[in-house]
Amino acid sequence: MNSHLPVNSRRQFLQQTGMGVGAVALQWMLNRESATAKPPVLKDKPHNDLLPRAPHFEPQATAMISLFQHGGPAHMDLTDPKPELSKHHGMDYSGDIQFSFVNEASKKLFGSPFHFQPYGESGTELSDLLPHTAGIVDDLCLIRSMHTGANGHEVSIRYFHGGIPAVLGRPTFGSWLTYALGSETQDLPAFMVLSDPGGHPVDGATNWSNGFMPSMFQGTVLRPKEPRIFNLQPPKHLSGPFQRQNLDFLQSLNQQHLEEHPGESDLEARIASYELAARMQTAASDALDISQETASTHSMYGLDQPETRDYGTRCLLARRFVERGVRFIQLFHSGQPWDNHSNIKTGLASICKKTDQPVAALVKDLKQRGMLDSTLVHWGGEIGRLPVTQDHGSPEKAGRDHNGQGFSIWLAGGGIRGGMTFGKTDEFGHRAVENIVTPNDFQATIMNQFGLNHEQVVYTHGNQQQVITANRPARVVEEIIT
Amino acid sequence: MLASSSFSIHHQEWIIWLFFISFPLAEITAAEPPYFETEIRPILREHCFDCHGATAELEGGLDLRLVRFMKSGGDSGMAIVPGDPASSLLLERVHEGDMPPGESRVSPEKIAILEEWIRQGAPTLRAEPEEIGPGIPITEEERNYWAYRPITRPGIPEFSTNERIRTPIDALIANAMPEGLTFSSDADRFTLIQRAYYALIGLPPTLEQINKWQQHADSNWYDQLIEELLASPHYGERWARHWLDTAGYADSDGYTVADRSREWAWRYRDYVIKSFNTDKPFDQLIIEQLAGDELAGPIGGDLTERQIELLTATGFLRMAADGTGSGDNSPEARNKTIADTLQIVGTTLLGSSVHCAQCHDHRYDPISQVDYFALRAVFEPALDWKAWKPPAARLISLSTEQDRAEAAKIEEEVKQIAADKATKQAAFIKEVFEKELLKYEEPLQSQLRTAYETPAKDRDPEQTKLLASNPSINISAGVLYQYRPDAAEELKKFDAQIAELRAKKPVEQFIMALIEPPNHQPVTHLFHRGDFNQPKQVVVPAGLTVAAAEGERVTFLDNDPELPTTGRRLAFAHWLTNPENPLAARAIVNRIWMHHFGRGIVATPGDFGKLGSEPTHPELLDWLARDFIDHGWSLKHLHRQILTSTAWRQSSFRHPSGEAIDADNQYYWRKSLQRVEAEILRDSILLASGSLNPKLYGPPVEVAEDETGQVRIDSKQPRRSLYAQIRRSQPVGMLQAFDAPVMKVNCDVRSNTTVAPQSLMMLNGEFVLEQAGLVADRTTELAAMDSQQTIQFDLSQLPMMPSPIWSYGTGEVNDKTGTVSKFVDLPHFTGSSWQGGPKAPDSVFGWVILNANGGHPGNRKLPAMRRWTAPTDGQVSIAGTLQHGSENGDGVRGRVFSAGGQRDIWQVQNNSTPTNVTTFTVQAGEEIDMVVDCLENENSDSFTWPVQLTFTPVGGNAVVHDSVTAFRGPADDFSELPAQIIAAWQLILARSPSPDELKMSMEFASQQLKLMTDHSAGTAPNRTPGKQVLVNICQMLMNSNEFLYIE
Repeated sequence: MNSHLPVNSRRQFLQQTGMGVGAVALQWMLNRESATAKPPVLKDKPHNDLLPRAPHFEPQATAMISLFQHGGPAHMDLTDPKPELSKHHGMDYSGDIQFSFVNEASKKLFGSPFHFQPYGESGTELSDLLPHTAGIVDDLCLIRSMHTGANGHEVSIRYFHGGIPAVLGRPTFGSWLTYALGSETQDLPAFMVLSDPGGHPVDGATNWSNGFMPSMFQGTVLRPKEPRIFNLQPPKHLSGPFQRQNLDFLQSLNQQHLEEHPGESDLEARIASYELAARMQTAASDALDISQETASTHSMYGLDQPETRDYGTRCLLARRFVERGVRFIQLFHSGQPWDNHSNIKTGLASICKKTDQPVAALVKDLKQRGMLDSTLVHWGGEIGRLPVTQDHGSPEKAGRDHNGQGFSIWLAGGGIRGGMTFGKTDEFGHRAVENIVTPNDFQATIMNQFGLNHEQVVYTHGNQQQVITANRPARVVEEIIT
Repeated sequence: MLASSSFSIHHQEWIIWLFFISFPLAEITAAEPPYFETEIRPILREHCFDCHGATAELEGGLDLRLVRFMKSGGDSGMAIVPGDPASSLLLERVHEGDMPPGESRVSPEKIAILEEWIRQGAPTLRAEPEEIGPGIPITEEERNYWAYRPITRPGIPEFSTNERIRTPIDALIANAMPEGLTFSSDADRFTLIQRAYYALIGLPPTLEQINKWQQHADSNWYDQLIEELLASPHYGERWARHWLDTAGYADSDGYTVADRSREWAWRYRDYVIKSFNTDKPFDQLIIEQLAGDELAGPIGGDLTERQIELLTATGFLRMAADGTGSGDNSPEARNKTIADTLQIVGTTLLGSSVHCAQCHDHRYDPISQVDYFALRAVFEPALDWKAWKPPAARLISLSTEQDRAEAAKIEEEVKQIAADKATKQAAFIKEVFEKELLKYEEPLQSQLRTAYETPAKDRDPEQTKLLASNPSINISAGVLYQYRPDAAEELKKFDAQIAELRAKKPVEQFIMALIEPPNHQPVTHLFHRGDFNQPKQVVVPAGLTVAAAEGERVTFLDNDPELPTTGRRLAFAHWLTNPENPLAARAIVNRIWMHHFGRGIVATPGDFGKLGSEPTHPELLDWLARDFIDHGWSLKHLHRQILTSTAWRQSSFRHPSGEAIDADNQYYWRKSLQRVEAEILRDSILLASGSLNPKLYGPPVEVAEDETGQVRIDSKQPRRSLYAQIRRSQPVGMLQAFDAPVMKVNCDVRSNTTVAPQSLMMLNGEFVLEQAGLVADRTTELAAMDSQQTIQFDLSQLPMMPSPIWSYGTGEVNDKTGTVSKFVDLPHFTGSSWQGGPKAPDSVFGWVILNANGGHPGNRKLPAMRRWTAPTDGQVSIAGTLQHGSENGDGVRGRVFSAGGQRDIWQVQNNSTPTNVTTFTVQAGEEIDMVVDCLENENSDSFTWPVQLTFTPVGGNAVVHDSVTAFRGPADDFSELPAQIIAAWQLILARSPSPDELKMSMEFASQQLKLMTDHSAGTAPNRTPGKQVLVNICQMLMNSNEFLYIE
């Protein structure tokens, strides 16, 4: 079923294949489409639907894939070369430094054990740990000056997702986006989370919580194994035309009931939710069926290798969901694999091995399909790591402690300038010193790419008018936008 | 009484109030200058008071609590210059983002208000006080905030001529309605009965119950209905579930990933159910939950029933997540449990987000951090983080003196048996030792004996060495079995005896309670920024300052000399339930109202503060609260008040004139439609299928993940959903999908979502599929019992039911024409095969047997015949394998016949052959027979002959008809189908279908049966097509909006 059609042809499609769709539900869905609603602004009553909504201005991105890297990737070993740090390796750092693990803290500077070199036309330097990312470097905007100001994981995770450091109970970024723009697809959830077979990331379901918004704005978690969505498939004997027939019977009962209760939008919504469920059965099954992809695509994403199979599959699924109109997809790891307090040489290499190829494949694949222009890809964690050694007795076991003062993330597509680096950390990579970007700036910028003014997307909770950045200072980083 | 003039005043207030909630403050400043008390102070409270007024330590020497302090300023000079915003330092610092420090900012709208206020000369509404105590004072505005004002006794407007005004509730609601709105007419009797059942017992009425009340002739039938339902034990279950939401009930500890089970939490759940059923006065219920242990008197000896009840009640204070017994007994974890407990108490009983004042004074409400810690001091003696008890250490044993005596008696007997065992054992050891010793020569023999018999501690080194070098002589109980296996066996019998005896000991049961140790008075400190590492001043137990008149803050005794405990919680509970305290009664009646109408008079039942909503009907709220108190805090009385009102009894139908004025039904001009809650949905399904086990009380029904990872309730115990185990980390899929809360702290208001996963759950979820099957079974039974119902339906209206496509029989082949000349259906089905009678051979049909895979022919005149009938014109081809498996006998012959004659013939004897027939044309109704006969005799003639018949209807796609999977018992008797469908309606929707609905269902059945025939699919294993259609109808009825929504 081809479900990533433009609205007009989708309308035709629905009309053509709509036989059996309860007439009321069909009408309701079509109405939804014809009246693309306005985005929520100050003074709006918060809405409780996923109507597609027009942005405030012409958007450059219509979908986003966020590859969240829990734990704090060590930027000075991956994306932010520091020759001075290498030069002073083993010497004492003279500046102030905050440690989370005081018992193993040292001030001995720790030059990266990995080699950096420039790549692509842009000449962006990356370490040897990211050979595949090196191949897409001209499509990336590498921000080297991220700053949360706090070293703790949860504090910074919540800052990134919810807008305020450490504070719980707020909607996450995907919730805000789906609240503001609604759902483009009528067949799939608008906000999807692809979780890791090893379990949830640090901070669990808070990572995709709807906070004070209704639960329809919560991320729908795709299970890491079959069945990826509960109850998606009917039992064998009801599959195909039989369930359709059952649904038609149900909808005629419901339609008669609705005629007795005109104007009850809850009843209409329930009727429509059955149709969505029916379409999801087809659409989600179709989206999840990666056997439709060619062998070369499989191998590009690393599905043929044990280390990359899982992450590659999820990256590929993310692309397939974007193709089908899902607004926001977020990939998480189990726990926090980038939290390399010890054995960074081996630990970092191992998580890079798992992710580097699939991530690069995703960007390449989106680009070759012409989807990168409208799909924003984000790669990054909540913090970075310190330039000094976290001491475990021997250099082999050395690691790095948390650092929210300066670290790297990258963005690609969706109107973000490729082949550039932005911002700087100090000579040792400890603190962001130039063009500092906070998670609130990050949120404002991404909202901007979706055609939204972050201050104007308002959700009234209690008597408070809430915005994603909670009215904290936030700027759209114009320098990185095309 | 209120005259019409007061009505219009009231009306104006409404308009003003609506105006206030609809627009942000920034937009109304043009009309009126902002005043310090009303506009400015809330901004300062939110952003500035923490450092400039809340504590004695004033940053920069600047105090912002009064305008005159602002004028005199701090270390940097004047903070404001009235009339001159440009020279006002405060504005400049806020504007430039210097203040407040850190990353939070004052919004531009609020800065604009500040600026406007200064420009207008920084006006106050009234003269500022001469003196001001420490901390942020509570202003007149704050004290006059509606939630802290005493509960009034509103006058009831008179509506002498309006028969729609049945009760004071109606009068107050009608009085508040804008021009043009009136109550809708009453809902019909059927709807009212259903509504009352759902509302009061959480189960739909059965058809019998509907009929009983429909036909009730008494004029007060409705009152009788309410009384009957209030008297039902299911009433307590229904309303306990609501209370358990707010109390944060869970059967697991949460906090850590272990999420350890709370084995005894259910006693608190049962306490709530029983209390509701006996209509325990709610003030009493509050007191028991907060301070049951302080009322229970000294605990020692057997607990009395009353003591058990009182201690169980304190389970309320043990509902918060608590990881201290499951891996995290850190100060953080302990303090989190205390904080969550206070949050539960605050949101349920105070209607206040008092927990927001844990780290600093409440940013919006007049609740200081001192207030928060004063509340904490109330609970500190029982929840002392410095003398903490993990959950297991707080359990109270229910063992009685008699239990203990019985146990002791058993232990005495055990002791005796153990002694016998020891004696026996010693004897065995001695025996073995003597025997082993004989293996040694003298003098070694004597030396070893002496060494062995000398107690270990008295042996000299020589002896020790001697024994060590001759290990086989060291006979002990532990190695005895190696020498004498028989002895070990004999000794084991003693152990078995002991185990058996001990099993007779009374099983020890527990209560999960909060008990304050006697003479324990820890000092409560205020924690700077809520951090327990930064204790500051000592705080004494007290009620909320704002809830008392100026200067009359209620403090509680540190230690009540009359009680062994401090009495703090008891004093707090008495303060809270004092009829003059406005907090608890309003909070409770608002919750009850919310459940009856889908929305509270205050929409945020856990927070009546500034961050919550204001009451839509403040007078009604007060009237209900006052009436509740006046009637002994009786919930059942409150339900009667509400359910007898027109507001509740009116129809839910919308009409355009009402919609035009009040589309959201804020004024209650109709009853709002409500979706059933998760528990009602599941319970209703179980009720319809006849599986619901109505047993009350007891340990929870276990939950477990099924093979797909979905959490399900043990299907062998189909009890009401409130008895399902509530594990914080494993919410039940079905209940969670329909918005049952996942307990983090507690749940004030459930969300009400309409999402596709719910539909998927109802369409494809195993539970619903199973239950639909069970309902269908019931409809079959009911229809069979009551065949009269069929008569109600004109059978001539029956749509054509397709006849079965396969049949099983014997008959004759006319050898001349080469066609089947006679076909007789086999009369008996054993459950797995068709044959002549219960036993083969049958006197008439002999050995003829047909089963899914093959069968057995009879004698030469009785072939086994499997017949397929073409549903339409088309083409047929056949593939199959005929096999005869026995070494004995003369084998069998297989032939295929169509109307055109014999298509092919095969013979097998202890071997197999493919039986493929190439494509040929058939006409609708044409029969294809697969005939097996025995040749000379029928001995050892069992055969298998699976056949795949590919049928391509004219103009259609090929469908494979598989003789194995399609094998069926007796064909459906469709004559009972109408009665079965009627029964399905009655079981699920408690009514009979209308003639149109019945007709629609029959048409659906007919179409689906045809589809099943055409596709040779669509039925679950072991189900006939007719039964499957019935199951599908049942499932769709349980999916219908009529089933999911309460009118």
